Amino acid sequence: MSAARLKGGASAPSSLLNDDVPRHPFFSSKPFRIAIRLGLLAILDTVSLLFIWTLIANGRYPLAIVVFLVTVGVNVAFLYEKAYPFKWFSPGLALMIIMLAYPTAYTLYVAFTNYGDGHLLTKIQVINQLESRTYLPEGAREYSWTAYRSEGGEFILWLQSEEGDFLADPGEELAPADRVPRNILGPLDSNGIPTEISGYQRLSRVEVLKHLDELSAVEYGVAPDTARVSSLDAAQQLEQRYVYDRQIDAMVDQIDGTVYSPVEGAFTSEDGRVLRPGYWVAIGTKNFVRLFTSPALAGPFVRVLVWTFVFAALSVFLTFVFGLFFALVLDHPRMPAKRTVRSLLLIPYAVPAFISVNIWRAMFSRHFGMITTTLESIFGSSPLWLADPFWAKIGILIVQTWLGFPYMMLICTGALQSLPDDIFEAARIDGAGPLHQFWHLTLPLLLVAVGPLLIASFAFNFNNFTVIDIFAEGGPPMAGTLTPAGHTDILITYIFRLAFASDRGADFGYASAITIVIFAILAVVTALQFRYTRVWEEISENV
Amino acid sequence: MKRVLLLMLLLSLALFPVFAAAETEETAEEPEAEMEVDPDITLVIWADELRAPLMEALGVEFTKTYGVGVVVQQLGFGDIRDNIKVAGPAGEGGDILVGAHDWLGELVTSGVVAPLDLGAKVNEFTEASIAAFTYDGQLYGLPYAVENIAFFYNADMLDSAPADWDEVREVAIALENAGTVEYGFVRQEGDPYHFFPIQTAFGGYVFGVNPDGTYDADDVGIDNAGSLAAAKWLEDMVVDDHIPAGVDWDTYHTLFETGQAAMMITGPWALDRLNTSGVNYEIAPIPGGGKPFLGVQGFMVNAFSDNKALAIAFLTEFVATSDVMYEMYERDGRAPAHKAALARVSDERISAFGEAGREGLPMPAIPEMSAVWSAWGDAVTLIMQEQVTGEEAFTNAAEQIRNTIAGN
Repeated sequence: MSAARLKGGASAPSSLLNDDVPRHPFFSSKPFRIAIRLGLLAILDTVSLLFIWTLIANGRYPLAIVVFLVTVGVNVAFLYEKAYPFKWFSPGLALMIIMLAYPTAYTLYVAFTNYGDGHLLTKIQVINQLESRTYLPEGAREYSWTAYRSEGGEFILWLQSEEGDFLADPGEELAPADRVPRNILGPLDSNGIPTEISGYQRLSRVEVLKHLDELSAVEYGVAPDTARVSSLDAAQQLEQRYVYDRQIDAMVDQIDGTVYSPVEGAFTSEDGRVLRPGYWVAIGTKNFVRLFTSPALAGPFVRVLVWTFVFAALSVFLTFVFGLFFALVLDHPRMPAKRTVRSLLLIPYAVPAFISVNIWRAMFSRHFGMITTTLESIFGSSPLWLADPFWAKIGILIVQTWLGFPYMMLICTGALQSLPDDIFEAARIDGAGPLHQFWHLTLPLLLVAVGPLLIASFAFNFNNFTVIDIFAEGGPPMAGTLTPAGHTDILITYIFRLAFASDRGADFGYASAITIVIFAILAVVTALQFRYTRVWEEISENV
Repeated sequence: MKRVLLLMLLLSLALFPVFAAAETEETAEEPEAEMEVDPDITLVIWADELRAPLMEALGVEFTKTYGVGVVVQQLGFGDIRDNIKVAGPAGEGGDILVGAHDWLGELVTSGVVAPLDLGAKVNEFTEASIAAFTYDGQLYGLPYAVENIAFFYNADMLDSAPADWDEVREVAIALENAGTVEYGFVRQEGDPYHFFPIQTAFGGYVFGVNPDGTYDADDVGIDNAGSLAAAKWLEDMVVDDHIPAGVDWDTYHTLFETGQAAMMITGPWALDRLNTSGVNYEIAPIPGGGKPFLGVQGFMVNAFSDNKALAIAFLTEFVATSDVMYEMYERDGRAPAHKAALARVSDERISAFGEAGREGLPMPAIPEMSAVWSAWGDAVTLIMQEQVTGEEAFTNAAEQIRNTIAGN
């Protein structure tokens, strides 16, 4: 390598002389490194400041605070000598907080709110939206209008109605045409509309279109005699329908004086009429109460839960058995073309489940499916894979085994290679046959290594939405149940379908509550399983 | 330590405007494609794959005439509905949304779409399409196309469509006995959408209708006498092997196209493949006066748009004309909701669909509809799989639907 690298940055004069050296000593000096560090940190801070700025502008204060704290933390780690060790894992920690811890906390929070369809907006947004609603009072006047714009971007209107023409200026009374001084009006066109008004230019239809939103945001005239632009053709004497009374925290209907007070995120009158939309508020444990009292739990819940455990356990067992089998076969020294076979066996793992499950589904299809027709031509009949409750379950286990065994094969291959040879040698000398070796050495030692991965696999299959949903959407349906359910539905597909049936509607609060409950079930199951893996570890210690 | 932190803050503040300026510059540059275009206003349209090219073409014309830039952002059809719920309130999202009328239940109750006032132009559209886009007495969308399913029969085998569903059964038996076809009538397993017209032909319904024309979620009609009669009809057809079980959408179309089946119900989206197959088919209204669901496509306006009035003007002034509506039909192939454009349609197949949908019912947009689909679909599947009788299946489905509505 270069001389500078060998000599280090200390010997400045000599490296200056060898000018083929790419790095000037300054660049490896301490001030430079500090400058680099500060520069990068400054860029990071700027980006997060910008991010926080956007978040605050969108009213997302909690996330803004978290990002702020994380940024401060990263700065401290890089600038404060004593926090020096934190420097190395601060990127990981920062991402963990923002991508994992915060969303989890946020889900927990949402579970206690009514965030969802009908309650998507904030209270301020709802008040603004309701306050912008207008109504046409009885006997209200309707005009056609022409707009004029000043250099400074102010608008006035020339209104025409059955009761004559008016000049309308925001904040000033509507002026009947005959009282407007003639000298400020330009010549009239064939419809009696001035072509210009002093200081203001008449807008063409194209120009009007561009300014339509500004035009309709303004009220012209003085109450009660006002006009608002309601469409390209009409201006009307529109009145504000609802007014928010800050004192009593309620919306008041200007037509009949009804008072709408907030009830669970919606302005509600005393006789129970609700102003839509509602807004997003905390509703305590209502989502959880709703889940635990829902007909879903009184329905086929137990059957679904049992199948969920059976599915997850059998999936892990079958994939592990096949994965281990292939791993052992491929581990054998006399196995030819190992690499090729291993690569081929990895294919089910490499193909996305979205594709392969659909292909399996087609192969199981009743009339033209390859599996069905083949079985029919050999045995004269074939199980109704997608219609029969039992065979649908078998079918889905076959598919899941196909999808999952390469993963198990991979981890078993890795674990097998790490097993110490000397124990096996000792076993052989002691006269243990291959089977005896497998049951008493290989398997226990292997289980210690892959045990945690089996648990992870169980947890994954417990929530394996994709395979269940693509294969038969949980079907075939169960007959005579309290709520719709299918024979291959697992907990997550069953509840998902019930809560968000047919992909319609979004109820984020309820969904979060369900997520948390399923998370709790999984946490308990996983914790129990980890306890049992210790048993394996004890075995391994005794080997 | 403190000094360094202060330095950091100053450095950040110094860099801040640089980044901020870079950001605003980027957004401002986009609409400068055309010379006269006003750089301050851009209409953003959210459209799906099918309508995006069309909206782009319309946008170019609009920009030429009015000097306002139009940007079309392409999203998945269902994603438009889901994303606007989050993007809209955050001040983002399209100003104009392409969508279906049955989204209104969610979007209106959430305050995400703005009311529209078509004025006298309302009368230029078919009553059914306007009714579909009306929610709680207020119009929320500009309809452009109506779609519904209709009855198809093989014209080489049948001279005319059967008058009712008992005749469908008789014709099916006759054709099967004559060895003309394998199955008289074919349909997909499950799939309540295609079963609904049969159900209504027997007097069934999903939700009762209030005096003001809105749907009444307390009146579930899945187990009324008519619905049960329709379920019984299906059960008999399946048990006697006149309708094959375990068939999916593709398969039943193939059976019809290859002459192995004589009758089916399907929608305009199947026309292309039917024409390619060369089968001699005719389209007829649903036998027995069955009413299909009407799906109405149209445009909605984002309630949080900064260009709300402009977006509405774009729709009412520019899109809601006979020419544009006809152009949309030519590109899209669905029957126009605009009367004048509909009158210009010369394709008799589209007219036939229009005929079949004349008495159609708008797909309920009320949120309770979500409780219906899976229970109802399961019931149809169970009948077709011969697991339970039609009466059991539909009685149970109605119970499930009432449970779900009450439980939520």
